[in-house]
Amino acid sequence: MIQNPCILTDVTKCIGCEQCVAACKKINGLPAEDAPPRPGNSVDGLSADRWTTIIRRPDNHFVRKQCRHCAEPACVSVCPVGALQKTAEGPVIYDKSVCMGCRYCMMSCPYGIPHYEWNSAAPSVRKCIMCYGNMKSGKISEPACVTACPQKATLFGTRDAMLAEARKRLKAEPGKYVQTIWGEHEVGGTSVLLIADIPLEFLALNQGHPLGDTPLPERTWAALKPVPFEFVGMGLLMGGVYWIIERRKKLALEAGGAAAKDTRGEAGHEK
Amino acid sequence: MRNNRMFVFKAILWCVAGLAAAVAVLRFALGLGVATALSDTTPWGLWIGFDVMGGVALAAGGFVIAAAVHVFHRETFHAAARPAILTAFLGYGAVAVGLLFDLGLPWNIWHPMIFWNIHSPLFEVAWCVMLYLTVLALEVAPVILERTPFQKAYRFLSRLALPIMILGIMLSTLHQSSLGSLLLIMPFRIYPLWYTHLLPELFFISAICLGLNMVMFESSITSWLYRREPETKMLGGLAKLASAALAFYFVVRIADLAYQHKLGLIFAGTWEGNLFILEMLLSTVLPMVLYTLPAVRRSPTGLWLISMGSVLGFVLNRVNASGLSQVWATRSFYFPAWTEFAISLGIVSACGLIFFFIQEHFPVDPHGLNDIEEQRELADKSSPAFAPFTQVWLGEGWRKSARVYSMCFVVAMALGLTLAPKTEPAVTRKAERARGANVLRVGDGPRYVYFDHKRHQDEAGKEKSCGTCHHLHLAGDVGTPCSECHRRLFVPTNVFDHDRHVERAGGRESCAKCHGPGEPQALTVMKTCQDCHQKDMMAAGNTVVPAFKNPSAASYKDAMHKMCIPCHVTKAADPKVNLPNLGRCGACHDSGTQSEKAYKTEVPPGQEGIGRT
Ligand code: SF4
Ligand code: SF4
Ligand code: SF4
Repeated sequence: MIQNPCILTDVTKCIGCEQCVAACKKINGLPAEDAPPRPGNSVDGLSADRWTTIIRRPDNHFVRKQCRHCAEPACVSVCPVGALQKTAEGPVIYDKSVCMGCRYCMMSCPYGIPHYEWNSAAPSVRKCIMCYGNMKSGKISEPACVTACPQKATLFGTRDAMLAEARKRLKAEPGKYVQTIWGEHEVGGTSVLLIADIPLEFLALNQGHPLGDTPLPERTWAALKPVPFEFVGMGLLMGGVYWIIERRKKLALEAGGAAAKDTRGEAGHEK
Repeated sequence: MRNNRMFVFKAILWCVAGLAAAVAVLRFALGLGVATALSDTTPWGLWIGFDVMGGVALAAGGFVIAAAVHVFHRETFHAAARPAILTAFLGYGAVAVGLLFDLGLPWNIWHPMIFWNIHSPLFEVAWCVMLYLTVLALEVAPVILERTPFQKAYRFLSRLALPIMILGIMLSTLHQSSLGSLLLIMPFRIYPLWYTHLLPELFFISAICLGLNMVMFESSITSWLYRREPETKMLGGLAKLASAALAFYFVVRIADLAYQHKLGLIFAGTWEGNLFILEMLLSTVLPMVLYTLPAVRRSPTGLWLISMGSVLGFVLNRVNASGLSQVWATRSFYFPAWTEFAISLGIVSACGLIFFFIQEHFPVDPHGLNDIEEQRELADKSSPAFAPFTQVWLGEGWRKSARVYSMCFVVAMALGLTLAPKTEPAVTRKAERARGANVLRVGDGPRYVYFDHKRHQDEAGKEKSCGTCHHLHLAGDVGTPCSECHRRLFVPTNVFDHDRHVERAGGRESCAKCHGPGEPQALTVMKTCQDCHQKDMMAAGNTVVPAFKNPSAASYKDAMHKMCIPCHVTKAADPKVNLPNLGRCGACHDSGTQSEKAYKTEVPPGQEGIGRT
C-alpha cells in the first residue's frame, strides 16, 4: 500500500450517479437500501450504512462527502481509548473492540463524519476508512469508490501527486475552478482533496465560515500539556497553606491561652 | 412530630426511580436509538450535558468545602463539610451511572485504564472521576464507620483524612477544568459567546462558585425537610464567600469576551445572546449582588431561593456550552425524549434516597441524627398509625413506608414499561423525510421536494431506465428537470413507453389486449392507463377531480389535485388532525377566477387535454 494515500475529487466532473456510494456499500458489506433518516440528522445523506454520499447543490453540482482523513484528525486525538487511529500510511481507521461508545469523536469532527448505529444495542461508530484493510491486504489497489466512478471524477494517488494534479487543473482552467484546493491546508491538511467550481465551505459544520488552518487537536493539547504541573502545584499550594496555618495556630497556642481563642480569626485572615 | 413532608417527598423519589428502572431495561435491551432523541448531528444530549457535565459541577461543593474547612481552617463551615462530601460522593456515583447509560458500549467503560490516549481530555476526565470516586469513598468511609465496631479502620482512615482531602482537591481542580478542555476541540460547534481558550479556567472558577451555592442550597433544603433550624450563621458566611467568588468569575468572563471583541454579541438580540443573558443573570449577577445585602444573608428563604437560582444558572451554563449553544452550527434542534428525562431524574432520585438513608442512619450531620432518632421514637410510640375514624394513615411507621415506597416503585416501573417506545423513531412522513435522503433540492435556497427515486426508477423500467432522465436527452444535461416530464402547470406529458408495453404484454400478438380486435389503432379507442394501473395512478376513489385517463406523467396540476389532495381531504376530516383542508380551492388559490385565468394563459387554446382519451 502506498504511503500517504489521497483521494482527489473534481466536483466539476461528477454527474451524481452515486456509483461510488454503491461500490462503497458493496465492499464494506453495508445494506444497499438506506434506512429512513433519524429525526434531527443533517441532510447530507451520510449514515452508519452510507459512508460516502453525493450532496446535490443547485445547478447540477454534485459534491461527494466522505471522511477527509485529516493529517491531524480531531476524532483520533479525542478518543479516550484510542479506538480511532491514524495508521502509519495515513487513513484513519476504527477498532470496535476498543471503543466504549462515548461518541466524542462524532462531536469533534469538523465535518460531521462519524455516524452511529443508533438502532443497535451494541453500536459501532461508522465512517469511511479509505478501504484500508482491503488495500493493505492487497485485495484492491485503490479505494472501491474511485474504481467505480464512470467519469473519473474521483482519483487516487499519493497526496503529493494529487495536489500536483489539482494544481494543474486549477491552472489549466482558471475561469472554471474556484482557485482553492479544499483540504490542502484546512485544519492542518486532509487526505481527501476537492476542487470545484463552487465554494465548498458548506461541507464543514461551520455555517460557511472557514475552519482555519490550525489543526484542532492543538487547541486541546495546549490545555492538557500543563496538567501534571497543575496537579502537583495545587497539591503543594494546599499543603503549604495548611502547614502555614497549622504553624501559626501552634505558635499562637504557645504564646498563651488568651491568644489561642483567637486562632480562628487568624486562620480566617490567612486566605 | 411526624414528618409527612419527608414521607411524600420520598414517595415521589421512589416513583421517579421506578420509571427510570423501566426505561433502563429498554435502553439496554434495544439501544440508544430507541431510548433517546440523539442523532448523528447531536450525539451528546441530556445525559452528557446534565448528568455528566452538570453532575460533576454540582458535586463541586465537596472539594470547595473540604478546602475551606480542612485546609483554610474555616471552622464555621464545619457543619456543612460532611453533607457536602457525601453529596459529592453520590454526585460522582451518579455521573458514573449516567455514563453507563450514555456510553454505547458501557461494558467497555473500564477501557481507559488500559488503553491510553493522553491527548484526549475525556481520558483525563475518566481517570480523575475514577480516582476521585475512590478518594471520596475514603472520605465518606469514616462517617459510616464511626458508630460501628470497626474502630480500627475508622481510626486509620481518620488519620489519613488530611492527605486524602488534599488529593481530592487536586483531582477536582483537574477534572473540573478538563470538562472545559473537552469542548476546546469544537470551535466550529460552539457559539462564540461560550467558546474561548479560557474554557477550562472558567469551568474551574464556576465550579467553585457553584460548589458554594450548592452547599447552601442543600443545607437549606435538608433543614426544611427535616424541620430543623436553618444554619443561618454558616449560610451567611458562605454567601459572603460566594459573592466574592462570583464577582471574580464575572470579571474574568466578561473581560475575556471583551478581549475577544465579542461583547456585542451579548445584546445582539439573538437567541444565543438572550440565553447568555439569562444564564449570567441567574447564575452570577443576581446572586453576586444580592448576597452582599445583609438582609438577604439573614433570610433563610432568600438564601434558599437565590442559591437555587445560581445552581440552576450554572447547570444551564454547562448545558449551554455542551449543547444549546451548538444548535447554531448544527441547525438541528434536539429536544430530549421523555425517556432521557426519566433516566436523568431517576438517577438524581436514587441519589437523593441514598443520601437520606445515610443521613438518617449515620452521623453525617452533627445534630441531624439526634433529631431523627427522636422522630423515629415518636413515630414508633404513636402506633398504630392508622386512624380508623378518618380512614387516614397518620404516621410514618417504617413498615407502612416500605409498603408505600415499594408500591410507588413497582407501579411506576410498570407504567414506564408500558409507555416507553419500543422502536426507533424514524422519519416516515414524506414532508419530513424530504429533509433526509430522498430529496431533490429546488432552486438556490434550502428548499427540498420529496423525490422518491426508487419509485420513479421502478416505474420507468428499473436499471435500464436511467437514460430516461439522466443526461441522455439534452446536450450538457445531467439530470432531467422534473418539468421535462411534468411539463408546465396544466399539460401532461406523454411518457408512455409503447415498446415496453408490447414486450411485457407478450409481443406482437398482444395488440388486442389494449387496442381491441379490429378497431383502428388510435388513441381514442384504446384502453386507458388506469384500466390496468388504477392503483399506480392513485385515481381510485378520487372524487375531487374526475380521474385522469391519459398515458402521461401527471402535470403539476394533476399531481397536486389527484395525488396530494385526496389524501389531505381524508386526513383533514379526521378530528385528531388539526390541519387545513387542502381540498378547498381557496387553500391554494386566491380565487376561482384567478386560477381559471392562470389556466387560460398557461395552456394555448386547442391544446387542452392533450393525450387524453
Ligand atoms: S474528517 Fe472527521 S472523522 Fe475524518 S479524520 Fe477528519 S476528524 Fe476524523
Ligand atoms: S465513540 Fe468510540 S471511537 Fe468515538 S471517541 Fe468514543 S471511544 Fe473513541
Ligand atoms: S474509500 Fe472506501 S470506505 Fe471510503 S468512501 Fe471510498 S469505498 Fe467507501
